[in-house]
Amino acid sequence: MSELIRVERAELGYPGRLVLRDVTLAIREAEFVAVLGANGSGKTTLLRSLLGFVPPLGGRIERTPGLRVGYVPQRETLDDLYPVTARDVARMGTFGDLPFWRRVGPAERARAREALAACDATEFSRTRYAELSGGQRQRVLIARALATGPQLLLLDEPTAGVDRAAEKAILGVLARLRRERALSIWMVTHHAEAVRGAVDRVVSVDAGTAVEEPA
Amino acid sequence: MEMFSPDFLFRNAVVGGWIVCVLCSVLGVYVALRRMVLLGVALPQAGAAGIALVFFLTHHVHGENGGGAHWLALAGSLGVTFAALALLVVGSRGSRTPVEWKIGAALAVASAATLLIVALNPTGDLEMTSLLRGELLAISDRDLAFLAASAFGVAVLFTLFRRELLLVSFDAEFARTIGKDPARWDALLYFLLGVGISVGVMTAGPMVVFGFLVLPALAALRLTTHLFATFLVAAAIGTACSLGGFQIAYRADLPAGPVYVLLAAAVWLAASASARLRRRMALASSLLLFAFVPFLAGCGWLRSPDERASEPAPRGGLPQLASPIAVLPFKNETGASLRLASANPLDELAHAIGREGKDPTLTVLDLLEVRAAQELARRGYAVVPTESVRAAVKQAPTDAQAALAQAQAGGIAGPLMVGTLSQFTRNADDLLHVRLELALVDPGTGQTVWQGSARRPVPVPAAFTLAEIADDAAPAIFAEAFAAH
Repeated sequence: MSELIRVERAELGYPGRLVLRDVTLAIREAEFVAVLGANGSGKTTLLRSLLGFVPPLGGRIERTPGLRVGYVPQRETLDDLYPVTARDVARMGTFGDLPFWRRVGPAERARAREALAACDATEFSRTRYAELSGGQRQRVLIARALATGPQLLLLDEPTAGVDRAAEKAILGVLARLRRERALSIWMVTHHAEAVRGAVDRVVSVDAGTAVEEPA
Repeated sequence: MEMFSPDFLFRNAVVGGWIVCVLCSVLGVYVALRRMVLLGVALPQAGAAGIALVFFLTHHVHGENGGGAHWLALAGSLGVTFAALALLVVGSRGSRTPVEWKIGAALAVASAATLLIVALNPTGDLEMTSLLRGELLAISDRDLAFLAASAFGVAVLFTLFRRELLLVSFDAEFARTIGKDPARWDALLYFLLGVGISVGVMTAGPMVVFGFLVLPALAALRLTTHLFATFLVAAAIGTACSLGGFQIAYRADLPAGPVYVLLAAAVWLAASASARLRRRMALASSLLLFAFVPFLAGCGWLRSPDERASEPAPRGGLPQLASPIAVLPFKNETGASLRLASANPLDELAHAIGREGKDPTLTVLDLLEVRAAQELARRGYAVVPTESVRAAVKQAPTDAQAALAQAQAGGIAGPLMVGTLSQFTRNADDLLHVRLELALVDPGTGQTVWQGSARRPVPVPAAFTLAEIADDAAPAIFAEAFAAH
C-alpha cells in the first residue's frame, strides 16, 4: 500500500506551545485508523497538522501531490441558524471544483446525491440540517466530505454525543466506504471500546506524542 | 405609483430609501447568520462618526459647498467604517479576545465621538444633523445614481461569490480544505458590508441602516427554510417596508426613517408569530403578512399633506366677508433675506457671485403668503389667486394706506390682507421663534377691520431647510394668528 501522507519526526503545535513531539507515522491507502486519546491530549492538533492547517514546528509532513482530503469537522462547530437542507450541505462538497461563474449543475447535483446515498442519508436529504438528529447530521457531513471526491477522509470526533445506535450506523457507513471505495479513513475519537474491532490500527496520542499500535 | 413619477418631489427619496433598505436587508442575512448583529449596530455608528469627523476637520459650514458636502460625508463614512472593520474583524478568527468586546467598545466610542464632534462644530450643525439622521429628502439625482451604482456593484459581487460566502460563513475549516481561503472571502463579505453600510448611512442614516441590517433578515429567517428564499424574502420585506413606510410617513407627516424601521419590526413580529403556526399555515400567514403592508400604505385613513391642507378649519376671529380676500406681499422686518435655496445649481452659483439667477428668487415670505391664502380658503373665504395678486402688487406695502393705493392701482377691489414678519429664527432646540403680524384692510375705507398675530414658538424637529421649516410651521402660525382673541 502506498503512502498518502508521511509524518517524519514532526514537532506539532503552535508558536510558543509544542503539543506533540517526535511524531512519525504514515497514512496509507484504504486503511481505517482510529486516533485515540484523552481530551486535551493533542488529537485535534494532529488532525489539523495532517490537514495542513497547522505547519509543523519541526520535522516533515509530506503529502502525495494532488491528494484530495475530505474533512468532517465536529458537528457542534456548525451553526443551526443556517436555512440549509441536508442536500444543500452535501452540495457544498462540490464547490471546490466549481469556478465562480458556473452554477451547481447536474453533475454536481448527482455527486451530492450519490454521496448522500452512500451515507444512507437520502431519506432526509430535503430536511433542514438544523432539524436532523446528531447521527443524521454526522452522516450528512460525511456525505459532504465524500462529495469532494477524496482519497482520504479525516473525521474529528464523528461519534461524540450520539447514542449507541447512531454510533453503530456511522461506523457501519465508514467501514462500507473503506471497503467499497478503497478510501483511507482516519478518525479522531475517545471512544476506544467502540472502534477497537472496527479499525485496522490505532494511533494513540498520549504524553506529548503519537504512537501507532495494532487495533 | 405617483411616488415613482419623475415629477414627484420626493421620488429620489423614495428610490434612495428603497435601494438602501433592500441592500441592507440582503446583506443583513449574513449579519444575522454569522451572529454579528452588534457589528450591524457599531458599523453604521462608525459611519456616522466618520461623517461628523470629516465635517469637523474640513470646517464645513452649512450652506456652503452643497454638492461637495455629500462627497465629503461619503469619504468620512467610508473611511471610518472600513477602519472600524479592520480593527474589529481582521484577524478575529482564532483571536482570544471575543470580538463582541471589541465591537461593544467601538460602538461606545463611535456614539460618544459623534455627539462630541457635532457639539464641537456648531457651524456645520444643521447640515451634519441632517446627514446623520439620513437626508433622504435631499438626495440629488447624482447622489441617487452613485447609490444605485454602489448597490449594483455590491449585488453583482454578492451574487457571483454567493457559494464562497455561504461556505466560509457556514464552515470555514471545511472551506479551507477545499481550497477556499476563509480570510479572503471574509474580507469580501466585510468589504460588501462596509460599502453597503457607508452609502446607506450617507443616504438614510445609521438608524435605518441598522434596522434593516437586522429586522428583515430576522423575519425572513423565520419564514424560510432555504437560503435563496431567505434572501428573496428579506429583499421583499425591505421593499414593502420602505415603500409602505414612505407612504405612511408622507401622509402622516412623520420622519421617514423611524417609520421604516418600526414597520420592519412589525413584520418581524408577525413573522415570528406565523412561524409558530403549523407549516401548512405558514404560507397563508406569509401571504397575509405581505398583503398587510401595501394595505396599510394604501388605505384611506391616513391623509397626505395636501389633503390635510385643504380640510375645513374653524373661522376663528376673522370677520365675515363677502368679497374675495387678496393676500398682499408680506413685509420683511427680520433683517435677514430668508431666501430659499434654488433647485437650480446655476442659480445658486449666480447668487454666490452676487448675480441674479435665471429663476425668480423665492423667500420664506412668498411661502407664507401662499400658505395664508390656503389657510383662508380652509376657513371658507374666497381668495384672489396668488398669481393675480403678484401681477398687480409687486412690493410689500409699507402701511394700510399704501396697501389700498397699490391694490386699487392694480385693479384689486376686495379686502386686503397685509402682513409683517419681524422674526423667523430656528434655535438649536428645534423651535422656530416667529413673529408675524397680520391685518385685514377694508377696501372702501382703508381702515383695518381685523388684526391677528402669531408669536408662539413652533416646534419643527423634522425640518432642515428654510422651506421645510416654513412649510412645517405654517399651520401652527396661521392657527394662532387667525384664532379668536
